[in-house]
Amino acid sequence: MSTDLVQLDRADKLFHTRHFFSVDPKTGKRHFYQKRPIHAVREMEFGVRAGEIFGLLGPNGAGKTTTVKMICGLVRPSGGHVYVDGLHVEKKRLQVLRRVGVVLEGTRTCIWPLTPRENLAYFGNLKDVRGKVLRQRTDYLLDFIGLSEKRDVQVRQLSQGQKQKLAICIALIADPPVIVLDEPTTGLDVQSSRAIKDKVVEMTREQGKCAVVTTHDMNVAQELCDRIGIVKDGELITCEPTEKLLDIFSEQVYELRLDRHPDTRLLEAVPGVVSTELEDADDGPTCLVKLDPDPELRSQAIYGTVQTLQQQQLLLRSIQQRQQNLESVFLQLTNGHSRPGATE
Amino acid sequence: MGFFLVLKAEIVRGLIIMRRYWFASLTGIFIGYGMLLMLIQALVYGSGQIEDMAEQAVDGGLGFIIGIFAFGIVGLFTQGLQGMARTGELEQVCMSPHGLVTNFMARSLVAAVSSIFSLSIIIALIAWSVEGTLYFAPLPTIVLLALTYLNLIGFGFMVGGLVLIFKQTGQIAMIIRLAMIGLAFPAQESLEGWPISLRVIVHALPVTNASICLKKVLIDGAGWAVLENYAFYFLILSCLVWTTLGIACFRYMENWSRDKGTLGAY
Ligand SMILES: Nc1ncnc2c1ncn2[C@@H]1O[C@H](COP(=O)(O)OP(=O)(O)O)[C@@H](O)[C@H]1O
Ligand SMILES: [Mg+2]
Repeated sequence: MSTDLVQLDRADKLFHTRHFFSVDPKTGKRHFYQKRPIHAVREMEFGVRAGEIFGLLGPNGAGKTTTVKMICGLVRPSGGHVYVDGLHVEKKRLQVLRRVGVVLEGTRTCIWPLTPRENLAYFGNLKDVRGKVLRQRTDYLLDFIGLSEKRDVQVRQLSQGQKQKLAICIALIADPPVIVLDEPTTGLDVQSSRAIKDKVVEMTREQGKCAVVTTHDMNVAQELCDRIGIVKDGELITCEPTEKLLDIFSEQVYELRLDRHPDTRLLEAVPGVVSTELEDADDGPTCLVKLDPDPELRSQAIYGTVQTLQQQQLLLRSIQQRQQNLESVFLQLTNGHSRPGATE
Repeated sequence: MGFFLVLKAEIVRGLIIMRRYWFASLTGIFIGYGMLLMLIQALVYGSGQIEDMAEQAVDGGLGFIIGIFAFGIVGLFTQGLQGMARTGELEQVCMSPHGLVTNFMARSLVAAVSSIFSLSIIIALIAWSVEGTLYFAPLPTIVLLALTYLNLIGFGFMVGGLVLIFKQTGQIAMIIRLAMIGLAFPAQESLEGWPISLRVIVHALPVTNASICLKKVLIDGAGWAVLENYAFYFLILSCLVWTTLGIACFRYMENWSRDKGTLGAY
């Protein structure tokens, strides 16, 4: 795994919060002083290769930001190790910082009284980018991200999306091999978030960088990431290539829209049908039929189902396969119902 | 090496902001001058002493200016740091490959030089207004200012470290900063009459020795003769102690803050 640009080896983070005169939510008792542990990240393990966009997907409070902050050295892991480009983040923190560009939550990284160009000059200087290289890189980045027109406008006069774009430019000014984006599209309109997604893809593909993106938005993860790790309560529940993740869960569910309720017992007797379910709507019920994944058996089952419905003289309005998207996968996983057998 | 790169970045930024906000900088100087003149009027001329009024006035003014300088430099590490955390700039600076300490050294140096510049204008204006005299001895002054600066950032790092961890110490830091003005204003060799325990405490604080030495040079025209004054050696000692202690403390607090997961956050 030495080719991984970012590698987490059982990274763990336990926070403590301190409370005075507060009621313990578990026991209901009042304490004068209490130290409560919060296990924000539990033994997280994954690696990200060059040219890859890795997504950390999870609900609010899942531990995404904490994970990201461990990669860029803002949070010290309480257990395990984090490596960037083969360097141990704790032991070689300053060297690691040369190799990562980070955009944290909230688009607040830039200095407001300065213009985008001056911001880039300032942060470029901080990161040893100087002179001609700095100017070229500034022009290139502002052009790349589409901020050229605003290069000489003070940051305070920029919109939220433009600030976020500038924050990305700042993260990229030293041309780091690793870029970390924490919730890059939150609070942005469709166009800005589209533009940012496109740029991230372009950058990773063309320049062989590796990107770690966190998001709570399925669509962003699905469109952007090559591989997705789903985090819940600090735990990495699954970590698979996006396609595969969708595949695992793309059950063979067909929706049959009918005029009346069918006899589901007869349907379930058809070989290849795993289960059925009825959903009522204004214009008649929809029967969800889950079929066996085996193609042969499935084909049989589809014929059988249609025949059975015909025998019952039902009006078959339409038949279609239910689309599986990341959202439902996510909900299934985070509700803890099923864990895909494919992991580990 | 890294220090100079950061310093350059800070200088460029400082110049841009000064140019962009020149009106505020300029009015700041005049307001400072006006206020100080009023203060001197009330404290010195109002006290009814007759002899050496001008010298008293310049002395008080200079003490006050040194206090303001201390107030500003230490403020950079307290309110300034909190402000940076609030805007999110601190997170980026924490992730600069030169480290937070280097960054704050460069940042405070730029702030120190620019405030020395504007404060010199103010004190020169004061001296001229009250018809007092200021002796101009460039080298001793520069040496003393450099020592004062080191002394102050040592102290600044100390309280800055505390602010990194205990966000609520900002208010206490404010009081400390105000106390520094209070100390620098009257600081003179008259301290010699004080009980020894009080004298030790006062000399251990970062601005007293600096204030005494600077007054010697600028008002009494002592020049290098300031080396004969015990306060100078106190200054060097407290410089060494505060800077070492301050930076060590700050480093420690920075790591602790990373443990707590609040580095750079407000
Ligand atoms: N500095 C901190 N101190 C204590 N608890 C924290 C700290 N930072 C985050 N947490 C807790 O850790 C959990 C994960 O937070 P975070 O990583 O910010 O989640 P996410 O970014 O996925 O929304 C949350 O329950 C949060 O309350
Ligand atoms: Mg977050």
